[in-house]
Amino acid sequence: MHSGLAAVVEGLPYVLQGIGVTLTVVGGALAMGLAFGLLLAVVQVYGRTWLRRLAAVYVWFFRGIPLLVLLFLFYFGVLAALEVELSPFMVSIIVLGLISSAYQAQILRGAILSVPDGQMKAARAIGMSDLRAITFIILPQALRLAIPGWSNEYTVIMKDSAVTYALGVAELMARTNHVASRTYQHLWLYLMVGFIYLLLTWLGTQALRILEERVAISGYTR
Amino acid sequence: MTPPIPILRLADIHKSYAGQPVLKGVSLEIERGDIKVIIGPSGSGKSTLLHCINFLVSFEKGRVWLWGKEIDPANKPELYAYRQKVGMIFQDFNLFDHLTAIDNIQIGLVRVKKIAKRAARERALAELARVGLSEHAHKYPAELSGGQKQRVSIARALAMDPEVMLLDEPTSALDPELIGEVHAVIRDLAAGGMTMALVTHEIGFASALANEILFMENGVILEQGPPATILSQAKLDRTREFCAKIAHLHTGGRKPV
Repeated sequence: MHSGLAAVVEGLPYVLQGIGVTLTVVGGALAMGLAFGLLLAVVQVYGRTWLRRLAAVYVWFFRGIPLLVLLFLFYFGVLAALEVELSPFMVSIIVLGLISSAYQAQILRGAILSVPDGQMKAARAIGMSDLRAITFIILPQALRLAIPGWSNEYTVIMKDSAVTYALGVAELMARTNHVASRTYQHLWLYLMVGFIYLLLTWLGTQALRILEERVAISGYTR
Repeated sequence: MTPPIPILRLADIHKSYAGQPVLKGVSLEIERGDIKVIIGPSGSGKSTLLHCINFLVSFEKGRVWLWGKEIDPANKPELYAYRQKVGMIFQDFNLFDHLTAIDNIQIGLVRVKKIAKRAARERALAELARVGLSEHAHKYPAELSGGQKQRVSIARALAMDPEVMLLDEPTSALDPELIGEVHAVIRDLAAGGMTMALVTHEIGFASALANEILFMENGVILEQGPPATILSQAKLDRTREFCAKIAHLHTGGRKPV
């Protein structure tokens, strides 16, 4: 029989081995979400009508279905139907990335829209193409404005990554479950993993706050 | 003798916003070295006209030629090349907020003209010197005064080697004590022979530079002619009335709200 503290001391190194998996899932999903989200946001602001509608449907779809449903749908449904083999780890990154891209699209769209019209006009006036103007004038400003919203998205994806244990991804939550089912010290172990997540979300938002300060434009307030 | 080909020619520009006509058939020719000053009450379409010239706003009808060659805005490379030839100065400066003064000028050289970074930097510094802002090269727009911002925006436009400059009320957003420094830069441009179309209410400043004043109202050019004629011997009552009003405004009369 384990005491609570003994279970934590014994289980912690084992659980922490999952930190790399958690961070990779979160990092991968956020990076994928940023790439797709950026594309979606630009399309939603500057795209043709039918492209804008398509982007809106995409956002509507991935914002409206629970993560667990999408994980099972892709892993047990879509992969089987397509006869493709992918590890639960990869599926988790992809599904979280798709969902995150829908949310990041909303964050970035708002940020793009809050860059004043005159910036685009001035870029066009010196002969820039719209694509160059978006790349070199609009996005550098929009991405700075998006950091606070993005920080929120980081905490959401960090917490949601725990759900991927359901596919058997050996991340923090799955490893905590293993220890708990062996030692029966659920209270202590889930408190422990809760604190690990708390630390990870706190560290991440602090890092993003520092980033926000470092890239702030001198004298600029909006 | 055939008349010279104008740098810029506009024919019959029509533009409406949400069904409301703003320009009702404006035609204009600007020859090399011309300084055309456009005056008129707010809402008369002056600013919209300047924005139509380089296709920053689209218009329903009308044609534009540069050196006798018609510009097709659907042909993007041609449009982008044309816009470099037509420098635009905005009422509210529109400096790129995330870039320092020098980078505001350099970015067009590097990203549009594809000039190597070092050469672009030198050119940008030269343009900053030309507007008297060398010592502010590394300041961000938010750290500059309105007058300095407008001078940087002029330097940014000049770096693209424009053949014509369009200035849309370049000093109307400035505190009175900052207007002089921008006027000085515009005067230097005029002295250097730059072709310009200038929308302004600063009638004294404008008439000293202009070779022609155009009075616009309700989306048409009502009357045009040399400054002396427009300001003191205009044919239309409406022109005389307007000129008297803005002259009064700029000779220390009480500012109407």
